[in-house]
Amino acid sequence: MYELKQVDKHFPGIHALKSVDFVVNRGEIVGLVGENGAGKSTLMKVIYGAYQPDGGSILIDGGTVRFQNPRRAMEHGIGMVFQEQSLITNLTVMENIFLGYESQFVTYGVINWRAMADAARAQLAKVELDIDPATITSKLSFAQRQLVELAKVLTLEERIDGDLVILLDEPTSVLARDEVDLLFRIVRDLTERASFIFVSHRMEEVLELSDRIYVMKDGEVVDVVPHDDADMDAIQHKMVGRDVDKEYYREQKQKPYDSGKVLASFDNVSLAGRYQNISFELHPGEVLCLVGTEGAGREAILRTLYGLDAPTSGTVTVGDEPVSGFSAREGVQRGIGYVPRERKVEGIVNGMNVYENITLSQLRNYASGGVLRIARERALARSWIERLGIKTPSENKDCGGLSGGNQQKVVLAKWRSGGSGIMLLDHPTRGLDIGAKEDVYEMIREMSDAHVGILLVADTLEEAIGLSHTIIVLKDGEFQKRFDGTPGSKPSLYDLVHHMI
Amino acid sequence: MDIERLKPHFPWITLVVLGTLVGIANPSFFDPGSLILLIADIVPLFIMALGMTFAIYIGGIDLSVQQIANMVTVIATVYLAQFGVGVALLALLAGGIFGMVSGYVTTRLYVPSFVSTLAMGFVALSVAKWLSGQRALYMDATLRDASFAWMFGNTAGVPHELAIAMVLLALAWFLQTRTTFGRSLKAVGAGELAAVASGVNVDRVKIIAFGISGAFAAIAGLIFSVKLSGGDANLANGFLLLAIVAVLVGGTPLTGGVGGVLNTAIGTLIVMVIRAAMVYLEVDATQQQMIFGLVLIVAIALTIDRSKLRGVVK
Repeated sequence: MYELKQVDKHFPGIHALKSVDFVVNRGEIVGLVGENGAGKSTLMKVIYGAYQPDGGSILIDGGTVRFQNPRRAMEHGIGMVFQEQSLITNLTVMENIFLGYESQFVTYGVINWRAMADAARAQLAKVELDIDPATITSKLSFAQRQLVELAKVLTLEERIDGDLVILLDEPTSVLARDEVDLLFRIVRDLTERASFIFVSHRMEEVLELSDRIYVMKDGEVVDVVPHDDADMDAIQHKMVGRDVDKEYYREQKQKPYDSGKVLASFDNVSLAGRYQNISFELHPGEVLCLVGTEGAGREAILRTLYGLDAPTSGTVTVGDEPVSGFSAREGVQRGIGYVPRERKVEGIVNGMNVYENITLSQLRNYASGGVLRIARERALARSWIERLGIKTPSENKDCGGLSGGNQQKVVLAKWRSGGSGIMLLDHPTRGLDIGAKEDVYEMIREMSDAHVGILLVADTLEEAIGLSHTIIVLKDGEFQKRFDGTPGSKPSLYDLVHHMI
Repeated sequence: MDIERLKPHFPWITLVVLGTLVGIANPSFFDPGSLILLIADIVPLFIMALGMTFAIYIGGIDLSVQQIANMVTVIATVYLAQFGVGVALLALLAGGIFGMVSGYVTTRLYVPSFVSTLAMGFVALSVAKWLSGQRALYMDATLRDASFAWMFGNTAGVPHELAIAMVLLALAWFLQTRTTFGRSLKAVGAGELAAVASGVNVDRVKIIAFGISGAFAAIAGLIFSVKLSGGDANLANGFLLLAIVAVLVGGTPLTGGVGGVLNTAIGTLIVMVIRAAMVYLEVDATQQQMIFGLVLIVAIALTIDRSKLRGVVK
C-alpha cells in the first residue's frame, strides 16, 4: 500500500539515495538497518516528508503522491515517532498529544479541557498507558514518554481516512529490556491499526520485531530479508561488505609504533552518562582508533583527553603527569591537538584568514609582549600552505571560503605547526571528496613517522581498519574488545561489527 | 552586484551620501572651522562608542556605559580637590572595574551581557546619586584649569579634544589589530566555539573586552565633566542610544566578529551628520531620540548576521 519506486536523492557532492525501492504492506512491520551514513535517515526523511526526492515516485495505494512537508505527509497517514523525544516536557500529556490540533476542542476561543482529556484517554488506551492525561510530561519515565509519542501519532487514525504508516526511529535506545518487550508487544497489537517502519542500531531487536528487513549500504538497498530467513551474520556482512583497497589507506606506509613509551593513558576513566571504565595507552607513532556506533562514547573520550569534558572518575595521564585541570587551554599546553568533527564550527574560524587560523592556538609564540609578529605568522602560513598543498590564493584568504578539504588542512597545519605530540582526530575525513581524503590519510602516516600519537574516530569502518595500529571497540560506553591492526593481520569489518551491535 | 560584497562598504557610502546631502542643503556645513567644532563636540560620544565596540565585537553589548560616565562625572567633581589630575586614574579604575565585573558576571555566571551590564549600570547610577547627594555639583574653576586645562586648548587649529580622540582611536586600533588580545577578540567574535577548541582563554578575553568598554566610558565621562565643569548623576543621559547607533551604523553588527574601531569612527561621524541635519531641519531636541531609535532598528536589521542566530530569537 505504501511504496517508493526508484527514489533518488542528491546533496551537494553526495548521492544519498540511489534508486531505492521500498514497500510497506498493510499491517506489516518493516525493519531498516545500515551503517552510519548508509542513507537510513535520508530515506526516513523522504518517507515522512522532510525531504522531497529528486527522482522516482512515492505511491500510496497505487496513486502517486508528493509531500511538501511533514504535515502533508501526516495528512496521508505517515506518522513519525522521533528518536530525540519531541514532546514538550513542561506541557501536560494531553496538550502534547493534541499539540497543533486543539481546534477540535475549542468553542469561542476556549478549550474544553474535559473533552480533550477524554479524547487523550482514548488515545492512551490504544498504547495501554493508564495515566492521567493532565500529568505534566516531565514526570513520566522515558518508556512512558515513548508510548505517549506513539499515542500522539495514533491520533492520525481519527483524523484521516486510509491506512497509517508509522516510523519508529531508534525507539528503544533509552529503554530497559522489559520496557522494550512492552513496546514490542504494543506495536505488534497495533498492526491491526497501522504498519510500522522500525529503525534501530540494535540488530537483534530488528530481527525480533520485523516481518521483513531492508538492508542499506552507500545509499542503496542491498538486500530485503524476510523474517524467517533473517540471519544476523549474513545481514552484517551485507551492511559493510566491500573489498578494502590497501593502497587507499596507505597501509604500505604503516610502520610499527614505539611501544616502549607512553604519550597518554586512560586508567579506568568514566564520564557519567557517556562512557565507563575505559583504559588504554597511546604510544608515539601509534594510530589508535575508537570504533562503535553513534553514542558509544568515542567522541566523549576524545574530548576528555583534550580537556573539554572533565571525567567523573579514573585517572587521565598525559606525559608523566596525571591530569588535574580540564580545559581546552590546558590541553593545548600539554601538547594535544584536536581536529573536531564539526569542522566549520569548532575547527576553523569562519571570518578569519588562513594565517590567523593557523596561529590561533599558539598566539604566544608569534608575539612579543602581547604584540603580534604578523610577518612571522604569514611566513609560517606560507610554508604550511606549500607543505600540505593547501589550495588558497594566499594566506590572507578567509578560511570560510576554502573547500572542506583545504579547511581541514588548515586545521591540521594549526596543530602540527604548534608541535602537538598527540593528535585527536574526530571524523577527519567527514564530508571530504576522495582526493582530499587521501591527502588526510597521507598526513596521518607522516605524523606517525614524526612519532605523533594519534587517537582517531574514523568516518567509516574501512577507514578505521585501514589506518590503525590498534582498534578498540566500544558499545554503549563500554569497552568490548581490542584488535591489533598490524598490516596483514588486520581485523575484518565483520569482526568489528560483531562487537559493535 | 553582490549585496554581501557591498555590505562592508555601506558605512562610508552612507557617510558620504548623507554628508553631501546635508552639504548641498546647507553649504556652511562644509566650512572647515565649524566642521572641526562639530567633530570636537562629539568626542565624548565617540570615546564611549569606541569602548562599546569591543563589547559588541564579541557579540555582547554594554548598556552600562552611560551610567558609568554619569558616575565618573560625579567622582571627578567630588575628588578633584583631593587628587588633582590623579582623578583621571581613579575614573579609569572605576570604569574598568565596573566593566570587568559585568564581564565576570556574563562569562562565569552565564548572565547575558545585556542584563549584566544593565544591572551594573543601575549600580553605577546609584553610586553617582549617593556620592552627589542627588545634587548638581560644580568644579572649582581654578582647580579644574590647574589639572585639566590641557584638554581644551587648541594647537595649530586642532582642538586638543580631537587629538585625544585620535590617540585613543589609534590605541584601540592597535589593540584590535596588532595584539594577541585583539586576535583572540576576533576569534571569539567570529567563531567562539572554534576559539574554545583552539585553547583560547575565551572568558578572559570577554572580561577584558567589557573592562575596556567600561574604561573608555569613564574617559568619556571625565572629558564631559571637565568640559561642563561639574558632575551630576544625569549629566551623560542620552549618550547610550547614540553610542549604540554609532557602533552599529559603523558596521559592527550585534552578532559581532566583523567591523571594529575604525568602523565606529565612521559611525560616529554619521551620527554627527544626522544630528547636523536635524538641527538644520529644525527638528526639536525632544524628537531627536525618536529618529535615532528608528535609525538603530534599521541599522541592526541591516547588519545582523542571521546565520549566527541559531534557534529562537527572544
